[in-house]
Amino acid sequence: MDRSQQPENTLETVPDPLPAHSTATVNEAHRTHAGADADTSRAAVRLRDVHYRVDGRPVLRGLDIDIGAGAITAIMGPSGTGKTTVLRLITGQIFADSGVVEVEGRDVAQLDRDALYAMRRRMGMLFQNGALLTDLNVFENVAFPLREHTRLPDRLIRTIVLTKLHAVGLRGAVDLLPQQLSGGMARRVALARAIVMDPQILIYDEPFAGLDPISMGVVMRLIRSLNDALGVTSIVVTHDVQEVSQIADACYILSEGRVAAFGSPVELAAHPSPMVHQFVAGLADGPVPFHYPATDYRADLLGLTTPA
Amino acid sequence: MSGLGGELLASLRAALERLGAMARFSGRLLMLTPSGFLRFRLVVEQIYNAGALSLVIIMTCGLFVGMVLGLQGFDLLQRFGSEDSLGTAAALSLLKELGPVVTALLFAGRAGTALASEIGLMRATDQLSALEIMAVDPMQRIVLPRFLGGLLSMPLLTAIFIAIGLFGVQLVGVQFLGVDQGQFWSQMRGAVELGDVREGLVKGLVFGAACSLIAVHEGYNAAPTAEGVGLATTRTVVISAVTTLVLDYILTALML
Repeated sequence: MDRSQQPENTLETVPDPLPAHSTATVNEAHRTHAGADADTSRAAVRLRDVHYRVDGRPVLRGLDIDIGAGAITAIMGPSGTGKTTVLRLITGQIFADSGVVEVEGRDVAQLDRDALYAMRRRMGMLFQNGALLTDLNVFENVAFPLREHTRLPDRLIRTIVLTKLHAVGLRGAVDLLPQQLSGGMARRVALARAIVMDPQILIYDEPFAGLDPISMGVVMRLIRSLNDALGVTSIVVTHDVQEVSQIADACYILSEGRVAAFGSPVELAAHPSPMVHQFVAGLADGPVPFHYPATDYRADLLGLTTPA
Repeated sequence: MSGLGGELLASLRAALERLGAMARFSGRLLMLTPSGFLRFRLVVEQIYNAGALSLVIIMTCGLFVGMVLGLQGFDLLQRFGSEDSLGTAAALSLLKELGPVVTALLFAGRAGTALASEIGLMRATDQLSALEIMAVDPMQRIVLPRFLGGLLSMPLLTAIFIAIGLFGVQLVGVQFLGVDQGQFWSQMRGAVELGDVREGLVKGLVFGAACSLIAVHEGYNAAPTAEGVGLATTRTVVISAVTTLVLDYILTALML
């Protein structure tokens, strides 16, 4: 009963170890912090001339990306530009047709199964829909990686899980099942699960998609504060330009399988390329056309074209 | 004509590819099997899901199959004046054919579809990918316990089906139609051998392996969409039913 009285979505619930900022001050907070922690000169993840095809159709065509250790790097771009493919390459779910994908200095494609799993244990990933295991409650979902990979006693597991849930503001929800959670809550539980093994690299796949403004603000602030408090490298794949601009240290904009632009959010806002301008400003028409390729409109309406 | 031939060839190739994929999947599962027993708690959970939750349907159907067998058997045997053999006839047909086959068909419909749709939905909602990223092998953590749970449940369900079926035969034959109770049981005891019981249980085990394997394979390889999960469920029932009947012929021929 008393759970319902806790203001779960408000900023006050967020936890002592990760001090609450309003989103407007997040950037200032991190700039001072990032100076101390982030070593952006050392790349945690490096993609070099990566090509990838699906059914003969090129998705990535010579992609070069460096993701600085300890920083938040956003990978943005219109739908279908291969953003999720990049994530799957980094996590070793798929392998590049040519080019090199290095994580912490090791070529992902050269790792055997054990080494790949060892690498993944140092990664945490937040899936778009949370991907919580539906037959386990919130507590067991967060405890899952610990139970699978460690032989810690139950008491310690409990302490770790509650700490992580507290960090995302959902310690009160331990007994709920995934289907009882709202979209934003599910994503925060998934975030707690992603950080439970204290990963070096945190990957977010569309973390803001489909969230209400409050949940979006909460998730946004969590990404920033977790990055700074845990000293991890964060990779955020998204097309929510405004949101990610407030927290990212560096942004890549992909287009047609290549890097169209790279820079800080401020630099990108003033980028000369019309495509980047269209994307950042969210214009309907421009180099990325509004219309799917079609025959002449007038001829089509007058019935002068033959249907395909 | 060449178009038809080409299509036939293509569909034959597709079928062979599926069979090959299934063989590789089974091989992988077989290699993992010993590790499945190390975490037996997960298997026990699945024995509950596939076995205990199927009990009601298995018992209800067993009872009615037995009762129908009682009626038909009585009618048939009466024509030869040997209705006292009802117990033997019913026990042999239940043990050797009806028990394992009907249980397998029900199992495919009740537990197989549940397995396929559960794993398929886990695929569609990225849960399997999430396990991969958490460095947990979904084959070992999700597929293997479900396969073993189904495999171990089937012989037990078969035995229960046969027992309840015999009760149904006895209910109709002895209680309603007036077959002599002593004759009913003593003839059955005299004619049924341990080999007949073993045949039923071996069939149950083999059908259980086949149906569980088909269910987890279809679920694991389902297309990650609502349609894909639906298709996987349908395929599970259809392929399981056909496989069960084909295997039944082969096993019967081998064991007779």
